[in-house]
Amino acid sequence: MIVRLENVGKSFGRFKALKDITFSLKKNERLALLGPNGSGKTTTVKVISGQIRPTKGYLEIFGRKKVDESARRKMGVVSHNTFLYEDLTAFENLKFFASLYDVDDERIKEFFHEFGLWKRRHDLVRNYSRGMKQRLSIARALLNDPELLILDEPTTGLDVESKNRLFELLSNFNSAIIFTTHNLQEAEIICERTVLIKEGRVIYDGRSENLEEIYRGIVE
Amino acid sequence: MKFLSIAIKDLRTEFRTKGTINFLFLFAFLSIMLFSATVSNPEPALLWVVFIFAGMLGYSRAFLREVETGTLDALKISPVSPSSILFGKIIYNAAIMLLLEVFVIPIFMAVFELYPENLILAVLILTAGNLAFVVVSSSLSVLVIKSRARELLLPILLFPVVFPVIISTVQAFSMAVSGNLEGIQAPISVILGFSTATLAVGYLTIDYALIE
Repeated sequence: MIVRLENVGKSFGRFKALKDITFSLKKNERLALLGPNGSGKTTTVKVISGQIRPTKGYLEIFGRKKVDESARRKMGVVSHNTFLYEDLTAFENLKFFASLYDVDDERIKEFFHEFGLWKRRHDLVRNYSRGMKQRLSIARALLNDPELLILDEPTTGLDVESKNRLFELLSNFNSAIIFTTHNLQEAEIICERTVLIKEGRVIYDGRSENLEEIYRGIVE
Repeated sequence: MKFLSIAIKDLRTEFRTKGTINFLFLFAFLSIMLFSATVSNPEPALLWVVFIFAGMLGYSRAFLREVETGTLDALKISPVSPSSILFGKIIYNAAIMLLLEVFVIPIFMAVFELYPENLILAVLILTAGNLAFVVVSSSLSVLVIKSRARELLLPILLFPVVFPVIISTVQAFSMAVSGNLEGIQAPISVILGFSTATLAVGYLTIDYALIE
């Protein structure tokens, strides 16, 4: 197991964002975290990526009991927030993040070619379209060849073409994926397994098949 | 060396947007002009007042900007220790502070016709005091980043904490200006001791301050 959560809870003051989250993820497994808005999907991935600490429960990442530097080195995170510096160029952004992951310049160049951004590499990120920013954000997340790629509603604000590009890219990605979405079709396309969250609790954990029926039966 | 990457990235962003630099320089320049017009016999302390106001408004920006743009989360998910983030911000603020000194000190000396007996020592004391101010403000700004009222909260927290540094720097600077260096070790010890203690507190608390 590369990720294990047992009875994880997270409170913000009196508000309990996560009440009881239990699931695990095997190496190279693709898991969709599905749920309506406010169900706790983003909080769950923030706990896994180490952006916030759980209030209760047990968390294990790559065999470690806390999300330390070594665990973060094996992860990549893509979110609707691009995590990019708008006043730096695309190249400067990747170079900065590459320096944090000890990745060399050659790898950065490869990514720019691979993601079709080579000609625009010296443009400020603020001048990029939403789709281009998201592509760059994915390149940033993949710089370190992560063993776990976390995608938190990455299709938010993307046009159809950009979404298709993203799905194509993910289909060629061989490591483990946690993909949060409230879109049933996206969960079925990308992941073989789905964890359904409602009001901070896991209410379904199984194959990504007939999700519409399951979702309607449980959530609605 | 990751802290250097953070500092270089911050400097590059700052020189592109010039949001903080423009504000600092304008404020510092206006303050000097204001004092020169209203005070007939300005004391060396006035120079430090320029740095207080400029620093209080400028040094916290390094962290607050990362919070506003959401890029602090990018640093949190990267394999970089919280202390590297803190040291990167301190180096960035120190670089901005040195630029401000280069800009302010000659203008101030010219406008107020202030010629210290021991110029090198006076500049060194100002730099040490400013560095202590940078360390204190950078360390404290981490503690308020989760607060919604962080921009208001920081100066309120900062002023009482940084006050001993200000008083000691003014004392030591006055001695360097007059050339009477007797007892200068005491205020210098306070500046160094205070900045070391605050840096230690910042180092020990940043992990808890950054992650909710």
